Amino acid sequence: MTIAVKTSLDVTGDVCPITFVKTKLKLEELQAGEVLEVFLNGGEPIQNVPRSVKGEGHKILEVTEVEAGKFRLLIERA
Amino acid sequence: MTIDYNELKKGGFLRQKQKDQFVLRLRTLGGNLTGEQLRQIADLAERYGKGYVHLTTRMGAEIPWIDIKDYDAIRKEVKELGLRTGTCGPRIRTVVACPGNEICQHGIMNSRVNATHLDENFFGREVPMKTKLAVSGCPNSCAKPQENDIGFVGVVEPVLREDKCISCGLCEKTCKVGAITIVDQKPQIDENKCLYDGNCIASCPVDAWEAGRKGFDAYAGGKIGRLPQLGVKVARFVPEEEVVVTVEKILKAFTNLGDKGERIANTINRVGVEAFIAGMGE
Repeated sequence: MTIAVKTSLDVTGDVCPITFVKTKLKLEELQAGEVLEVFLNGGEPIQNVPRSVKGEGHKILEVTEVEAGKFRLLIERA
Repeated sequence: MTIDYNELKKGGFLRQKQKDQFVLRLRTLGGNLTGEQLRQIADLAERYGKGYVHLTTRMGAEIPWIDIKDYDAIRKEVKELGLRTGTCGPRIRTVVACPGNEICQHGIMNSRVNATHLDENFFGREVPMKTKLAVSGCPNSCAKPQENDIGFVGVVEPVLREDKCISCGLCEKTCKVGAITIVDQKPQIDENKCLYDGNCIASCPVDAWEAGRKGFDAYAGGKIGRLPQLGVKVARFVPEEEVVVTVEKILKAFTNLGDKGERIANTINRVGVEAFIAGMGE
């Protein structure tokens, strides 16, 4: 099943907590059920962003390591 | 008039270096004060002190520059207002705590409530040497429980629901200590590495990591002072309802094994942690 991505965000150039802040603001532009694609780095961003996103009630649909130390998250807006 | 300095210290009055000047030490419950209490403390500082308050390293509020002639008056006011005085000397001191799971996204346990229980049960109790207690809601240890004579660290045990796991590998990447590895598409946990901080539980997209046992790891023998050292773990996964009895056990071992003038740290250094833990059970 292919997941329809509404919009995409790259936070690989950012550090925490801006990574989550940008993700949160982008999610707020979406309607419930729409999917945001986020590219983020390993280390702190991957340790912090998914748990914060989940903490806000959104659903993480997919996590893939697209290259060493770089991840792609698919998040469904709550 | 004759001044009983020891009696004053017990009630939170500490002598300043200046003649007849005292500091009034107030304590908090895990660092929390209401707006009303803050206003009352401010008012006391303006009327009896020099209009400022010193916030202590143990989350207390001290009003310096109180003249001994005002001792009875301010003591009466503090009592009527219901403010809590601190203490000094060989007693159980103010319990410090982090904000805990009521506020903090990392919090596993309720630091405020547990610090309050500890305060109610132990504050001011006479012990062989000063004994400081601290409660942290998670292994981030922001309340520095390992620097206290007795410290509690909130922990949670992750339990895998294999049927739910989608093998995304996020837990392996989010674990800050590398305790999880994906083997044959499923996460395996190294219990010796796990800090029980619940990061995998909080991060898992499909709730395949569930919270098992929750409680506190108990540490004993931390201190700062001139020869600082960190406390050692003396009990694991202490449930909330056994926090008070765990402190009683630690105090029993300290009272029975401690030499005069020793803090818990010194006793553990001398008898060894195994003997100390054995002493908690006797």
